[in-house]
Amino acid sequence: VRNPEFGTIANVHIPCLGFLTRQRIVLLVGIMVLIVTIVVVLAAVLAHGRKESSVQLLEWKGRGTTKNLQEVILGRCYNYITTVNPELRDKDCQKIWETMKNAFVYKNPCNITTEDYQPLLDLASHPVPCNKSLFWSKTNDLVHRYTKANHNLFTLEDTLLGYMTDGVSWCGSPSRPGINYESCPKWSECESNPSTVYWKMASKMFAEAACGVVQVMLNGSVDDAFRSSSIFGSVEIFNLDPDKVSAVQIWLMHNIGGPHRESCVGHSITKLTSILEERNLSVSCEDNYRPVQLLQCTSDPDHADCRLCTSNVQ
Amino acid sequence: NMNSFFLSLLVGLLFSKDYVKPTEIDRKKWKGEGTTPNLESIVIGRCYEYIRLVNPNVGEKNCTEIWEAFKNAFINKDPCNILPSDYELFINLSVHTIPPNKALFWENNHLLVTSYSDKSRRYMPLCDTLIASFGDFLNWCGQANDTGFDYDSCPMTEECENNAVESFWRIASITYAKQSSGVIYVMLNGSAIGGAYPVKGFFADYELPNLQKDRISRIEIWVMDDIGGPDLDSCGKGSVQILEERLKTMGYDITCIDNYKSVLLLKCLDYPYHSDCSIFSSAPSTQRRLVSSERGNSWSRLIYTIFVAFVFEICFNP
Repeated sequence: VRNPEFGTIANVHIPCLGFLTRQRIVLLVGIMVLIVTIVVVLAAVLAHGRKESSVQLLEWKGRGTTKNLQEVILGRCYNYITTVNPELRDKDCQKIWETMKNAFVYKNPCNITTEDYQPLLDLASHPVPCNKSLFWSKTNDLVHRYTKANHNLFTLEDTLLGYMTDGVSWCGSPSRPGINYESCPKWSECESNPSTVYWKMASKMFAEAACGVVQVMLNGSVDDAFRSSSIFGSVEIFNLDPDKVSAVQIWLMHNIGGPHRESCVGHSITKLTSILEERNLSVSCEDNYRPVQLLQCTSDPDHADCRLCTSNVQ
Repeated sequence: NMNSFFLSLLVGLLFSKDYVKPTEIDRKKWKGEGTTPNLESIVIGRCYEYIRLVNPNVGEKNCTEIWEAFKNAFINKDPCNILPSDYELFINLSVHTIPPNKALFWENNHLLVTSYSDKSRRYMPLCDTLIASFGDFLNWCGQANDTGFDYDSCPMTEECENNAVESFWRIASITYAKQSSGVIYVMLNGSAIGGAYPVKGFFADYELPNLQKDRISRIEIWVMDDIGGPDLDSCGKGSVQILEERLKTMGYDITCIDNYKSVLLLKCLDYPYHSDCSIFSSAPSTQRRLVSSERGNSWSRLIYTIFVAFVFEICFNP
């Protein structure tokens, strides 16, 4: 009588071999093949995924997201509502950061829409007093030195939205960790990138909110002080409300010692004036608005253009 | 009758005294403002902002670690017993060198110095260092037997000298002076009551004594008067002379300038049409030219032309 628990192979007793009937062997082999296939497929997917994500991360030409973005944005928000503009002390900075994060994290950085940023803009916007809005184009350095020295006027970067994000770069990526610290798309690579969409929306809002007399500082030492392709020329001037804005004052600043490429009667200023007048806004222009020129002279006090009239100063 | 009336009145008054307690004035512990709300977020944010954007040359720092060291200097302690040395670990973690010829000391013109330094691009005063980003325009203090900040009130220096904020600025000033080198600049206020150089002040007590003489080439003093303000002190006079003598005795090579022009021009921002601020120039670009689209402007243009002619006349014939 053959013991069912002991099979024989070549007349040698091997324990449990009787267990392995033909069907069972086939089943075991099938399971093993299945396991191996799954492992291979998983490995392929992971490897491919990693390759894809590493390719995506290094793809853009612009600066990557600023490191410690969260700490910087949060800190600036709290600093602004506590020390710069305490009227806004009830703003919820944590929530503001969350809405900003949700606008771009884990998203394709070439596919950002205005809807993505709307919650952030709703939370962080605040009114600017009349007659205090200062627009600018091609005068980034000078205009902000001016508003920091003379705390009377506000550029977009002196409002909460602009203050938090000035000089900072950010963009997301569909793959982990959702933020791209290596590079971010430039405007030339794709227009709907997180930065461009943000600044366009914030600028539009800033222009819409302006009232009374508004000022704009332009650069008369470059070709085309006014450019239709700039944010000022394409977004801001078209969102000023003629019912709220009584006049637009242009300050056309030249570098100390020149060159003088443009003047108040020049070609691009005339173009700007006609666009504004067409929108029923009255315009005035001034070459080298004195207080700003004094600020420029701070950096070049011994230049011929900066000599002081009085003789009792050294 | 009258007696009982007066008696009941008296009794009533006595009782009323019990019920009408003196209004419990919310007695704050100290006279000063409490800790700034959200201090931790502000400070850590400023720290990262400094090392990532303002001055990346300081290298990699762990801002959370620095914050902990800062906090531990004063938390859970008697707020009147905080010494500059309590901040030692914090200082060690956040100290960095000041580029030579960029150190700018000052007395009585905090805001002017902040504007002039242009966020460390022109000069690097104490307020443009990583250390100061933990304290500038902020307030803080702790409490004994409590690990929290006191948001209600904090002691002022007149109440007790060894408070968290005072001791912070003392050690910050000492450290700043030790890190300075090359040409040292000092901005004083020639219109300040009590003298441009306060003989007892942060500069005199904590900064001057800690300058490293062997790393300093010379010291330049600017005495700035308020625009249209009194000229109470100037180079070679009053308290400035005291400072100059002290520096000479210490062996420093010094120069002194009244109303240093570059800073004067910045002050003029708030008084652009003051006589002390008129810029003389014959370059056509500086002529004010008003191009206006408003009608009926010829009258104001006439007034303006007369004004410009007048100003130019003054400039040409001083």
